[in-house]
Amino acid sequence: MDILSLDPTKFIDLSAMAIIFLFLVGFIGGLVSGFIGSGGAFVLTPGMMSLGVPGTVAVASNMCHKFPKALVGAIKRFRYGQVDVKMGLIMAASAGIGVQIGIKIQQVILSLWGSAGSDLYVSTSFVLVLVLVGSYVMKDAIKCARCGGEEETTSLAKRLQKIELWPMINFPRSGLRISLWFTLPVGFATGMLAATIAVGGFIGVPGMIYVIGVPGLMASATELVIAFAMGLGGSINWAMHGMVDIRLVLIILGGSLLGVQLGAIGTTYVKPHMIKMVMATIMLIVAVSRGLAMPTYLTKLGLMNVGPAMLNLMNKVSFASMCLALLVGSGIILGSMWLGRRTQLAEAA
Amino acid sequence: MATTQSNSKPIGRTILFGSLTAAFYTGFFAYGDAIAAQFAQGSFWAAGPIATVFAVSYLHGEFASNLWSVLGISAIRKDVRKTTEATKRPAQRPVLNA
Repeated sequence: MDILSLDPTKFIDLSAMAIIFLFLVGFIGGLVSGFIGSGGAFVLTPGMMSLGVPGTVAVASNMCHKFPKALVGAIKRFRYGQVDVKMGLIMAASAGIGVQIGIKIQQVILSLWGSAGSDLYVSTSFVLVLVLVGSYVMKDAIKCARCGGEEETTSLAKRLQKIELWPMINFPRSGLRISLWFTLPVGFATGMLAATIAVGGFIGVPGMIYVIGVPGLMASATELVIAFAMGLGGSINWAMHGMVDIRLVLIILGGSLLGVQLGAIGTTYVKPHMIKMVMATIMLIVAVSRGLAMPTYLTKLGLMNVGPAMLNLMNKVSFASMCLALLVGSGIILGSMWLGRRTQLAEAA
Repeated sequence: MATTQSNSKPIGRTILFGSLTAAFYTGFFAYGDAIAAQFAQGSFWAAGPIATVFAVSYLHGEFASNLWSVLGISAIRKDVRKTTEATKRPAQRPVLNA
């Protein structure tokens, strides 16, 4: 993928509709990110591309809005005592390696099977990871909801924490002590997924919860530190190649900084299992969305034969269901906040 | 001017940072296309978009934070950190050649 061959001056003319669309998606994406630690990117990149923004500029501009949003969200949630900075930085370092490996894999697939093969790989990864992890998170969230919303450390995390393998690291903020060797694979997988589907948090947050034993609220907040560190590095790289359209970034940021703060505040209104519930719901709807996009790539590779009208319809439904994922997620967040506030006021009265 | 507003509502800061953010966006978009093209030169011009988003994070971030407070939407519980009971080091560490 020779990004230098693209013409960075081909930035789109901004219409009023484009500005409103980007601002709103930025706000909703920010709301979800502030609440679950990630999200929004999967709609923003295809959304910008549908406005005529070249793919690379869309990815670069999305990343450049993501890291300041994550920074603001992380600072906000740090004030609520929800961020484990030490965990975030260690995870970010290993995620950086995962990103590099993920990019290499993408390049190999691109050279072997072209862009349709690469798109199929991305969609397959999306569907597999989101269905497997999303189902597990949903099952756990329902279990948590039934037993009063109290979170329990998984038996896997408890077992790993008991293994004294040098170097052992203390994470006082998360209230746990675990070997570095068990945190590295989670960070690495987060980076790999970030390089593949641009939303590393879909594996980073569940990984921190179920493998390391970090509480859900803390894991979702710590993911913002990882997103900031990875996003800053990636944005500098893209900006050095002149791929960032700063106008798009500022419009999205206008909405997302409002949303991310609201999402962060929202975490203090709800029981911890709601974080898992929102994350799992979004993951499962996005999995359906990406599943609907797969026949297009299979047809391009000659592995399936579907008519262009049907493919066009499936792609439209795919994009609409991604937007639906964000809307449903933000609806649950706002609904939970409203209920949480009402309960709080009733208790205070 | 009667000042009956509560101290917990940072109206002044909201107006200040809101004005600064509006001024920043107005100034930027007056020359938006030219600035975007300049920042797309790559190389050392990369500092442009990065510095811009940090500035917006501060100005707009402060505005957004204060705005939600003014609207009465603020955090219910401030600190959820766990106890550090689980982080105690073991009295005796395992040794390979014991």
